[in-house]
Amino acid sequence: MNKNNELAKLRDVFEKWEKEHSEEFSHERKRQFSSGDEIPIKRVYTPLELEEKGFDYLKDLGFPGEYPYTRGISPTMYRGQLWGISHYSGYPTPELSNQLWKRQIAGGGNLAYIAYDLATQLGYDPDHPKAEGEVGRVGVSMSSLRDWEIAFDGIDISKITISQVLNGPAIIGIASHLALAQQRGIDFKELKGVCQNEILKEYYARGNYIFPPEPALRLTTDALYYCGKYVPNYQAIQVSSYHPAERGANPIHEAAFALADAFAHIQSATDRGMDVDTIAPTIQFLTGHQHVGFFQEIAKLRAMRKIYARVLKERFRAQNPESMKARWYSAIMGTSLHREQYLNNIGRITLSALAGALAGCQVIDSRAYDEAFGIPTDEAIMQSIRCQHVVAQETGVTDTVDPLAGSYFVEWLTSEYEERIDKEVKIIDEMGGMVKAIERGYVQRVAAGDAYKWQRKFESGEIVRVGVNYLPSEVEERPPRIYRADPKVEAERIAAIKELKRNRDNQTVKTTLERVTEVARMEPTPANNLMLPVLEAVNSYATVGEICSALREVWGEYVEPLIL
Amino acid sequence: MKDKRRIRVLLAKLGLDGHDRGVIVVGMALRDAGMEVIYTGRHQTPEQIVESALQEYVDIVGLSSLADAHRTLAPKVVKLLRGKGASIPVILGGFIQPEDTPALKEEGIDEIFGIGTKLEDIISFIRGKAAEKKSETL
Repeated sequence: MNKNNELAKLRDVFEKWEKEHSEEFSHERKRQFSSGDEIPIKRVYTPLELEEKGFDYLKDLGFPGEYPYTRGISPTMYRGQLWGISHYSGYPTPELSNQLWKRQIAGGGNLAYIAYDLATQLGYDPDHPKAEGEVGRVGVSMSSLRDWEIAFDGIDISKITISQVLNGPAIIGIASHLALAQQRGIDFKELKGVCQNEILKEYYARGNYIFPPEPALRLTTDALYYCGKYVPNYQAIQVSSYHPAERGANPIHEAAFALADAFAHIQSATDRGMDVDTIAPTIQFLTGHQHVGFFQEIAKLRAMRKIYARVLKERFRAQNPESMKARWYSAIMGTSLHREQYLNNIGRITLSALAGALAGCQVIDSRAYDEAFGIPTDEAIMQSIRCQHVVAQETGVTDTVDPLAGSYFVEWLTSEYEERIDKEVKIIDEMGGMVKAIERGYVQRVAAGDAYKWQRKFESGEIVRVGVNYLPSEVEERPPRIYRADPKVEAERIAAIKELKRNRDNQTVKTTLERVTEVARMEPTPANNLMLPVLEAVNSYATVGEICSALREVWGEYVEPLIL
Repeated sequence: MKDKRRIRVLLAKLGLDGHDRGVIVVGMALRDAGMEVIYTGRHQTPEQIVESALQEYVDIVGLSSLADAHRTLAPKVVKLLRGKGASIPVILGGFIQPEDTPALKEEGIDEIFGIGTKLEDIISFIRGKAAEKKSETL
């Protein structure tokens, strides 16, 4: 009663204020202000908007570390532990990457975030005809356990987290990490690692798939289940909203696709008789965020956390709170950085890092100021890591948990995102889930439509980027140095594979590969987990290409539905 | 007015690169501009692209690559086409290092549309090329 009176009074004062200033309002810079995904943004937000949303502190926010985790997944957040600082990187060979990661660790990075070359990501060894022109170009070529031994020589893998961007052959990457840990006597219970291992977004956003969705999902969930049981600190999947966003999907679509992806993975695992509370705690999200739409990005991530917790609890009947927590490994979006006036990117990176901190990310993955020129140079990577240290050490945003909570605007926007994302998830649910939506080309078409709209708006000047279509420089500015992969690396890597094949026990390799094929042919029950034969194959120094061939033999390759 | 045939464009993802945002947006724009677009999809080898180009009687081939393999593979597409006696122009879009442009052009790539290209520039270039071809055949 009292609250209603207060709101009625507020409404009166608000209306009076609006009337008084109507003349000033008519001179605003734009007729309509809106977010990138066309949510209309009002002039001012008050408790009235929260009332319209039915906002309730305990129901919608609660406390940090408690359901529905809107305010963050831990009760202390950055007061307890700062977010992890990572930088996606990999130089062409295991030897060069080893030096790179050592430098990053010395510079205060606590993660080696492996960027693989495309040949490895698509399950081809350097000597395969399809690897021509690709070896080492966009990341490291790592084909066997031998390459892992070289890449992490002198790096204490019990202290740092190794994170891999590997999807099609993810299970091989995880097995290689486990095999190296075994060699060094590290207890699986202590081992920390992350692998992207999220195949669904490859079909509609990133394009690095090998097998058709059904067997590919089996590989993913086999890894989840194995890690859930034996390697509890391993995040064996990163469900990605980053890639749909980079592919052009607007923030609402991007968030909905990622959530629908996560639910598809969990459904696939539980359908195979796996327990939700065994696999869900191993799930991490690879979210994306940028400085563009600063508050929207924060609201989006808060809303996603809330939806995820609700669905895990209500639909999947999770009991363990760890299953309901959405963990953000959040990457600053490469497409938010530009070539023109490239030093402006330092500002963009720092603002993005700040947005990530305000959204409660567990890890923030940087991009570098020379991102738009190619694989980042060493100096740009280090600079970018330092942007994060500035946010973490100097701004004080880490001193209190979820400092934007209670902002009328941020809470209204969080509720608005929750409603809009929910609606999109429902559309996919009604199609029969994410796999069906991908097979029908729905997700691809939505993302393409968003991308096309964005491009037209950008070219018309409606979307503004400083230095690109606003106050451009007359003279082109270029970083003093641009990184280029040396094409000669291809021959070196082919030689390395040949040498490996000469020096290993090829009979054991043959036997372990046959076992991989054999298990792949079996019913996909939890007992026929492919992690075990893959681990044996890896330990016999079978290559990524060989193991993928053993699986291709059973499953064939995926052919994409064309949406153009 | 017997030649009312629409301009036919083959768009292809060259090599193992999976980034298709750009090529799809370009394809949508070309279609809106009245052209016929045949899209190969991802992970195409030079041999596959050449086969599609010849089968589809296209006026121009547009390659998309954002992962550097075009340094090796794009000239190969041109060479294979010419080897088959086809003079179809080839353009390249995506993440192309500016310093690679002279070498790529020397090896027969007609034009390069890197980061920051406006859709209109691609449309008018293709129209120009198609008009050139038409006047040659008259």
